[in-house]
Amino acid sequence: MEKRTFEPPVIKRLNAGMPSKFGMTPRIEPMPEVEGLKVSELLKEFGSPLYVLSERTLRNTYRDAYQAFSTRYPKVQLAWSYKTNYLAAVCNAFHQEGAWAEVVSGFEYHKALKNGVPPQYIIFNGPSKTYEDLLLATRNGSLIHIDHFDELYMLLEVSDEAGTKPKVAIRVNMDTGIYPRWDRFGFNYDNGEAWEAINRIMLSGKMDLAGLHTHIGTYILTPQAYRIAASKLADLAVNTERKYGHVIRYIDMGGGFASKNTLKGAYVPGTDSAPSFDDYADAITGALVNSAIKPEHLPLLILETGRALIDDAGYLLGTVIANKRLASGRRALITDVGVNLLFTSFWYEHQIVPAENSSQHTEDTTIYGPLCMNIDVLRAAIDFPLLKKGDTFVIKRIGAYNMTQWLQFIEYRPNVLMIDTDGKPHIIRKREDLDYMTRQEVLPEHLKNAGL
Amino acid sequence: MKTITAIRQLAESTGNSYAQVFFSRNMLFALLLLGVSFIDLYAGLSGLVAVLVTTAAAFLFGFDEARITSGTYGFNSLLVGLGLGIYYQPSPEFYFVVVLASLLTLFISVAMEGVIGKYYLPYLSIPFILSIWLVLLATKQFEHLGISERGIYTLNELYGLGGQRLVNFHERVNALIPVPLRLYFLSLAAIFFQSKIIAGILIAFGLFLYSRIAFTLSLLGFWTAYFFYLLLGVNLAETSYSYIGFNYILTAIAIGGFYLIPSVWTYGWAVLLTPLVAILTLSLDPVFAVFKVPIYALPFNIMVLLFLYVLKFRTKERKYLKEVVIQQYSPEKNLYYDYNSRQRFDPAWIFSFRLPFHGRWTVSQGHDGSYTHQGEWRHAWDFVIEDNRGKTFKDSGDLLTDYYCFGKDVLSPGYGTVEIVEDGIDDNIVGEVNLIKNWGNTVIIRHADHLYSKLSHLQKGSIRVKKGDTVKPGDIIGKAGNSGRSPYPHLHFQFQATPYIGSPTLFYPFGSYLRYHENKPELMTYAIPQEGEVVANIEVNELLQKAFQFVPGQKIRFQTSGTPLARGTEWEVRTNVYNQSYLYCTETGSKAWFWTEDNVFYFTGFEGNKRSLLYYFFLAAYRIYKGFYREITVRDSYPLHLVYPRTRLVFQDLIAPFWIYLQATYELHYTWIDNPVMPSRLKMESKMKEQPLRFLIEIDTKGIAAFVITRDNKMLKATCIE
Repeated sequence: MEKRTFEPPVIKRLNAGMPSKFGMTPRIEPMPEVEGLKVSELLKEFGSPLYVLSERTLRNTYRDAYQAFSTRYPKVQLAWSYKTNYLAAVCNAFHQEGAWAEVVSGFEYHKALKNGVPPQYIIFNGPSKTYEDLLLATRNGSLIHIDHFDELYMLLEVSDEAGTKPKVAIRVNMDTGIYPRWDRFGFNYDNGEAWEAINRIMLSGKMDLAGLHTHIGTYILTPQAYRIAASKLADLAVNTERKYGHVIRYIDMGGGFASKNTLKGAYVPGTDSAPSFDDYADAITGALVNSAIKPEHLPLLILETGRALIDDAGYLLGTVIANKRLASGRRALITDVGVNLLFTSFWYEHQIVPAENSSQHTEDTTIYGPLCMNIDVLRAAIDFPLLKKGDTFVIKRIGAYNMTQWLQFIEYRPNVLMIDTDGKPHIIRKREDLDYMTRQEVLPEHLKNAGL
Repeated sequence: MKTITAIRQLAESTGNSYAQVFFSRNMLFALLLLGVSFIDLYAGLSGLVAVLVTTAAAFLFGFDEARITSGTYGFNSLLVGLGLGIYYQPSPEFYFVVVLASLLTLFISVAMEGVIGKYYLPYLSIPFILSIWLVLLATKQFEHLGISERGIYTLNELYGLGGQRLVNFHERVNALIPVPLRLYFLSLAAIFFQSKIIAGILIAFGLFLYSRIAFTLSLLGFWTAYFFYLLLGVNLAETSYSYIGFNYILTAIAIGGFYLIPSVWTYGWAVLLTPLVAILTLSLDPVFAVFKVPIYALPFNIMVLLFLYVLKFRTKERKYLKEVVIQQYSPEKNLYYDYNSRQRFDPAWIFSFRLPFHGRWTVSQGHDGSYTHQGEWRHAWDFVIEDNRGKTFKDSGDLLTDYYCFGKDVLSPGYGTVEIVEDGIDDNIVGEVNLIKNWGNTVIIRHADHLYSKLSHLQKGSIRVKKGDTVKPGDIIGKAGNSGRSPYPHLHFQFQATPYIGSPTLFYPFGSYLRYHENKPELMTYAIPQEGEVVANIEVNELLQKAFQFVPGQKIRFQTSGTPLARGTEWEVRTNVYNQSYLYCTETGSKAWFWTEDNVFYFTGFEGNKRSLLYYFFLAAYRIYKGFYREITVRDSYPLHLVYPRTRLVFQDLIAPFWIYLQATYELHYTWIDNPVMPSRLKMESKMKEQPLRFLIEIDTKGIAAFVITRDNKMLKATCIE
């Protein structure tokens, strides 16, 4: 029999069977398998920690989202938001499903090209495009979404040099009745700035105003905001056609759909509060269909959903390094997953479950990562079973942003695994090593060695 | 310019007047007949004068130009002119009479048209008969008109024309031809008041050139009559007016191939009617002999009009003796067009309906379904939305909103008016049914008499239309729901013949839609979606929509490069008085008739020059569905006479009423697009399968950008410049 580690006893209030105001206290279901593969074996084979992406969930989510819109509106196009997760395997899975690419920097633009996306299917967003970026995108016929007047003026010069008209849209920000109001990106609708931008573009004659774009915010919990945004864009489209006889060919509603993760400070869990694709689709398509746009000029509807498409498909697998009792008497767990790998833990209460059946006793626990930094907290307070050193766990819904905003900090970044639709694992990004870490470094001659 | 047009019109009218005698509008045949008429110079002249006078008068009166140019008014006058010309000696007085007689014939023609045209009957040569009788009866009193002896002493005339050698030649030819055959030629010649066998031979030759079917029918009519006479113990050669043989010939052509679509049945009737014509001939002849006037083509006129009129009283399907609806003035063309349109269109399905929703839906219960689509209500569909895992709902499926189809827009399947709206019935809880209000919230749309569509189980309060509203395809009617006898949300759809909730269903297909199998679309036309199938409407591509939206008055100009396979680079979109649209090639005068619907464009016919660019475009864009789908194949068939050269058709023509062995298949693929959802350029490739003919059509935002013809490795590229 295995020798059991000693833990000093604690006194805990008995809370058996008493329902809280949301019903019974949630029993934490362990998650021994991801997509049919055993967590323990995956960790053994590919090392801990480990990112796992489910291709099946990813594709199914995409199809659900597409279907929610395509059964309500005749022309729908999704564009994969690269910043959410630009691992090539992820991007290409979405591209195979039919998604275009939505990029926000020269780097992302080139990455999309490298992935094999035809340039006319790339939407170039973002506030910081260089002259060279714009020139390339113009020559390639990509869709350029203008963020501010300085970009607009630069694009006029680009247009002269390229000798072709860039295909553009303007990004519009507006009051949709929600807080916070994003007014940092694009031209404001309510004060007439957006209309002024349209006027300048139309009167310049040097650009092809193909579409209108908005991105009202992120993790938007009320579909009503999209309805307001869509009808405001529709108004701009109608007015453009009325004044210039120019038909707006697409309306891009951006992203911002909530995933099922729970925001910090949220009153109810994300699984209960996040609207479904159908709710968003109903609001957006309803507004467009009911707008004053002529039925024969109904624009293509583009959506740049990122988070809601991939969050559910990602898992982060990790191992307990140590158990600790804090000075306050609070239980603490040190794991090999830190905020370096789980950037989103800054705003989500991530759902963490043990991989194997463990004690039915739970205790209010703080979960820390491995970093030697005070900020490295995964969950400040979670009712968690008593795990031992070496026990494994799964963090759910981490597909969005973590594989792009991760930090190379203190630790190497681990393997990223994708389990294909047949249940076969593929490493889609290799674990980093010293060689990778030092490859870009250049040592001046006099600092060639440590000299100790 | 105006005079040139006038002269052209006059020439065309004149030519057609000659050809029309044999139901033709073939210019070559017309010229030949003109020549034949001048075998007797004065008669020929008299005929030509009659035609010119009539045509000019008709134009001056302002009758329908299309009818004048088609020779409809001229051919009766021609016959009158020829008949008088052969009967009287030429003189100024005589030509004056001819002019008067022509006018009389024109008046009778127009009057006849007004009287029996109402019954959709042709007046055939009745104006000629009436007119010539009147003139003949009257002119017996005119002393200055000399009776001619021409046409009686054939050999004398031949001698006058070409001396002894011609006479000898004529005799030799005559000797070579057996008597009955000689009679056949003489009968043909007699139609043009000619008594010389050579005229008959020329006409027979022309007839063969014009139509193989008409030619075989002329033989059939003649020989049937010949044997009928033999059977009755009368020798046709010995009957007094032997030339009356043409009555049988004309009857056989009219019934066997011209006014009816040629088939084994019309040939049978041509044989059956001939003895009747013979009886009419034998019985009427003595009657008119009293007035000393010949009966001419009276038996033919009586028989054909009688028979055509009788046919109009049929109430059953007119499958066997099918009347020609759009007269092409050629039995072959009529037959091939009819055969082709039977291949292309089912006449029972006039209306093209679309599916009543956006996106892909699955048929959860089809016709003769296992649950409720039975008995009188068997021709109905239930539609739901499935996800890619085959489920119709998300989460647990306990809530209505879990179902993908719940709350989705339901659209009008076609043009119509809203007949009934029933709303206010609660949506059931999943699993429960409302057996009192079986159909739940329902909208019934009237598309035509006896053709309604019904959309049921709609969501309470979602119906957007009211009684009397006009709807068009794709208009939102309401939202799919779960009211009535519906345990889970779905859309019930059916066609019905009566406007009530609960009416029995009617079998009617959807016009064109896509059927998906493993995400690959397949084009379905006039088909019934089956249970389990995933179906969607053809989503119209804006470029194709724009390119094939031809507006009357629009002009299209091309610039060509490569092998000069075709000419005529300027087209115009035109519309005729029947509101039929066509592309008109200004250089060659060719016309390509087309039809456009919401999601399909197709050509219905072509006339004119087969070496024109328009002809090749007609072949290339024969049928275009306006959605761009790489996976689908569009198939259709051409009318044979429009794609095969005449020489290849000769044998087919001869046996066409009985068996058509040639095929002409059209195939189109959508091959390339720069951007499927926001396109600015696309390409399609089409071909005529049985011949080395390939086409490439390029479309851009302005419309048709370019068009490439490849024929036997030779290539012509036409680039649109306007």
